[in-house]
Amino acid sequence: MDIDPYILDIPRPVLPSLPPPPLDYEGVSGDIIIDNGATSFRWGFTGQEPSAAPNVIAKYKDRRNNKPLLLFGDAVDCETGARGQARTPWEGDVLLNFDALENTLDYAFLQMGINTPSIDHRIFMTERLATPLHSRALTSELLFELYSVPEVTYCVDGIMSFYKNNGSSKPFTSDGLVVSFNTASTSVIPILNGKGILSNSKRIPWGASQASEFLLKLVQLKYPNFNRLTSLQTNWMLKNVCSFTPDYLAHLRSISTPDALRTSECIIQFPFAPTPLEEKTEEELAKTAERRKEQGKKLQEIAAKNRAEQLQRKENELQRLSALKENKGSDTKREWMSRLQSEGYDSDAALEQAIKKLDAAVSRGRKKEQGIIEPDEPAEEPSFPLLDVPDAELDEDGVKEKKKQKLLKAGYDARVRARKEKEREREEKEREIKKEEDERENDFEAWSNRLRIEQEALMTRIKDRTRRKAALSDRKSAAAQARMKSIANLASDDRVPKKKRKGGGEDMFGADDADWAIYRKINIAAASSDEEDDLNQLQVIEQKLLQHDPTFTIHHTHAAISTQRSALLTAFKPSYEEGDTRGKNRIHLTTERWRVCETWFSPSMAGVDSAGVGEVIQNVLARFNEAEKGRLVNNIFLTGGPSQLPGLPDRLFSALRPVLPPEMPITLHKAENATMDAWNGMNQLSLSGEKHGYTRQDYDEHGPERIRRWWGGNWNNTI
Amino acid sequence: MPPKNNFKKKTAPSDGSMTPHIPTLAEQLSYLHLPKPFKNPHYTKNVNRRVKNLKTVLGQEREREKAERERRRQVKSEAGEQAPQDTMNVDGETNRAKAVEEDEETPTYTSIEAPPSIWPQKRYCDITGLEAPYTDPATGLRYHDKSVYEVVRNLSASTAKEYLSARGVNSIVK
Repeated sequence: MDIDPYILDIPRPVLPSLPPPPLDYEGVSGDIIIDNGATSFRWGFTGQEPSAAPNVIAKYKDRRNNKPLLLFGDAVDCETGARGQARTPWEGDVLLNFDALENTLDYAFLQMGINTPSIDHRIFMTERLATPLHSRALTSELLFELYSVPEVTYCVDGIMSFYKNNGSSKPFTSDGLVVSFNTASTSVIPILNGKGILSNSKRIPWGASQASEFLLKLVQLKYPNFNRLTSLQTNWMLKNVCSFTPDYLAHLRSISTPDALRTSECIIQFPFAPTPLEEKTEEELAKTAERRKEQGKKLQEIAAKNRAEQLQRKENELQRLSALKENKGSDTKREWMSRLQSEGYDSDAALEQAIKKLDAAVSRGRKKEQGIIEPDEPAEEPSFPLLDVPDAELDEDGVKEKKKQKLLKAGYDARVRARKEKEREREEKEREIKKEEDERENDFEAWSNRLRIEQEALMTRIKDRTRRKAALSDRKSAAAQARMKSIANLASDDRVPKKKRKGGGEDMFGADDADWAIYRKINIAAASSDEEDDLNQLQVIEQKLLQHDPTFTIHHTHAAISTQRSALLTAFKPSYEEGDTRGKNRIHLTTERWRVCETWFSPSMAGVDSAGVGEVIQNVLARFNEAEKGRLVNNIFLTGGPSQLPGLPDRLFSALRPVLPPEMPITLHKAENATMDAWNGMNQLSLSGEKHGYTRQDYDEHGPERIRRWWGGNWNNTI
Repeated sequence: MPPKNNFKKKTAPSDGSMTPHIPTLAEQLSYLHLPKPFKNPHYTKNVNRRVKNLKTVLGQEREREKAERERRRQVKSEAGEQAPQDTMNVDGETNRAKAVEEDEETPTYTSIEAPPSIWPQKRYCDITGLEAPYTDPATGLRYHDKSVYEVVRNLSASTAKEYLSARGVNSIVK
């Protein structure tokens, strides 16, 4: 297939249409032919066009008006309530649910317009290859006792399809090997001289339903968040995008490069509701900006007003206090003191200080209002005059003051030193930056290389650390064992070997500072400050490189590398941006497209311990002599729904060619109509007038489990 | 809200009687109410219809096959014993032997099941489906190359198990 990646929309469910009116039953006398397949039920009178529908019924109570309802076929899809109650007559490969079969037969007979008290027609009906007798017994019972049919002929579907495609010559004496692909199994039936050799036929427990379940599982594993996928949808995918490839391994190799994988893919688009993008018009954007501006202005105005008010208040206070101070002279000392105290000041000095403070604040505020920003005045060096005066020359207060000054000076000196230190550091840094810049400008190559090496080293260190962490989680790993050894060593009392101790050997642990690192090493849970440091440093280096080295891009950073997905995995499952609903509702199928079909040839790929089609055919052929083998493989006949998957004949040919003698010709044929030919074969049989049926009399005599032995029927429990 | 529901239920029938009832699509498609004259009214359902599940049916089938084989072996040995004594009845004896031989091959549902594969099995990557030369010893997952190994290593234990079960490997719970 050389179709470039193509996108297929998953079909939306369509409401079922009303069935056609029942047929006009007047005068119809043909046989009734029923192909009771696990997927489709096909029915009709001999010589008429058959009808076909999914073999499923749903019996449930309508919730709205509490009415019991019974639906068949496509109609089951009309309501969710019905879908939940869907039943099929088949359980996997075995006909088991006879309530459903009864409902299905009712529907068929109703559609055929039958209005007599019993079914007065012979019935031809398909039967599973070597069916369990329970299934046959209950089917016969239904047909003979509930519907009172006169005669039933059970046919093996694969043989009937073969008969349709090879039985034009009379008598029917064709040879061939039927490979019948069914819903839940695949059967190989050899036919010699127009007779099915059922004793040598085989059934592989792998069919279309298992294949679509397998595809469902694969897709679910690939897209764990895609949870509304059903096996119906994967069945659709199987039919539409999956195919066989003659040499699976060679094909896999040919698509194992990311580009080839990408071109081999097929995209399944699921329905999605696009998220409405919030596109704002130019005008709206302008409006919001305007509004924001206005709001900012308003806030600024309010703040300015507050500031002005505060300033006013302070000015008033200052005026009041100044006035108070002016009035000092007019009061007596006592009056003055009491007034001061009532204002909350202890002394003149306190008042003075308050006034000074207010004055400064007011003047600063005024200046700010006028837009003048005053730089911080450099603190002038305070003087400590008393320090140089000897104690002897000072009185008691003087000594106290001197002590105080000493302390103050010490603090001041320390601050100055710190400032200087800071300055020096800054200068050093600047010098380093300068040096690096020089280096970069003079020898860019070397600079870049050095940084890159540093980055590399840091990344390896981080990697090693994670690796060690992972190794420690495994009890048997070398790292974990070494750790246990260290712990045992530390815990043991006689860490020094006895020989050494006798010779005056001393425990020298701790003599080297590096010895203590052992405690960090054995502590797994230690918060790794190292790691943080490394990450910080890494970031600094990467910043520099990003800034100056044009060849160092964002893709070279640690973050990018550690989250990078390989090209292969990206091709296998392309990722979409956050918010891309269209992309998020897509399923990319690449290798799955062939992987699923390959399971027919090796079911073990999906965990079914069974030989595949090729091997089973080889086993079946081994029971025949060379001449018969040649007759069989010269007409390998493929039928059943899945046989329509593209590439099957080539795949089967490439499986059989190596295991058969080179001179033996292999010819493969596909059924003309893979799904309908079992019905058509029975139709042909009915028209031919051959009689193999089990009559009502037989039923009464031999019971429900038996049938008559004939060339196209089962062999078990025959008479 | 229960009260609302009650309200609806009560009004629904009266509505139906007032205005002509428009049948839903499901009601139109239903064939439960249609007369089915072709059915025998005296038929009573087989009790086995629902009782037996797939497992019992297949088990029964196997039992039956075993019993049949046993019976055939007995018939054969009886025939062998009879042969020397009853030399006159040559025709009957050969006929019986022939019947036995033919019966021996009667295929049953269980006997036609395909055997396990003995062809060499290829190994495929559990993640990508490509060829898988390697196996991760910790999880048992097969993988295609280094980049897939990165994915395998970062899988949670439960996801790894799911990948394994897709291939039919169900790990034993320790």
